[in-house]
Amino acid sequence: MLLAYKAALASPRVRASAIEATEFPALADSMDVWSVPRIVVNGVPQWDGAVPERVFLDRILAPAFE
Amino acid sequence: MCNAVTLGFMPIFRPEEEPRVRELLDALERPVELLVALGPEETPLPGARDIEFGAETQRIVEGIAALSERVTFRVEEEPPGFERYPAVAVLPDGEDVGVRYYGLPWGYELASLLGGVLEAGRLESALTPESLERLATLERDLVIDVFVTPT
Repeated sequence: MLLAYKAALASPRVRASAIEATEFPALADSMDVWSVPRIVVNGVPQWDGAVPERVFLDRILAPAFE
Repeated sequence: MCNAVTLGFMPIFRPEEEPRVRELLDALERPVELLVALGPEETPLPGARDIEFGAETQRIVEGIAALSERVTFRVEEEPPGFERYPAVAVLPDGEDVGVRYYGLPWGYELASLLGGVLEAGRLESALTPESLERLATLERDLVIDVFVTPT
């Protein structure tokens, strides 16, 4: 979670939200949340679990989002 | 533990945690404002319905703000820029930079909100220079949602 927050604080192009899955079950279901943390970028589920900073950047900056 | 009355008497931080949290908040280099957004709530999973999510969220935010002069908070009903309630926006220097927590930040997730406050209180990013350079090349907007649970 903190990497997403750090990215949002560092870039005006990035916004980051934590979403408590049990409190918003319909939304969590729509994003196929089975384990947490589940990372969703621009409305598309991406991966589960914590990753190192460089991998996080690799993934959010992947060409699919460019 | 799963009802509003019981939760209302639970301390936000354990007694042994509070000095540590106070110490962390003392390190804030700029003011951080927490905007608590309240509004219509969804029906949560069975067993959780007795919790007043909005009121509890406000209580937790008050508890964090009580530990530092640099942390302030305000509460608004259905402010613009929020998709669901309750929510907390973390505003460095009172500015909305897109950092949000949706839901009640309890259990392990209190650390996420607190971490957001600590990061927002930094004048310089904790990311590596390499990461900052890479972020600076972004030409599109990114909306990152991280689904979490408190246990």
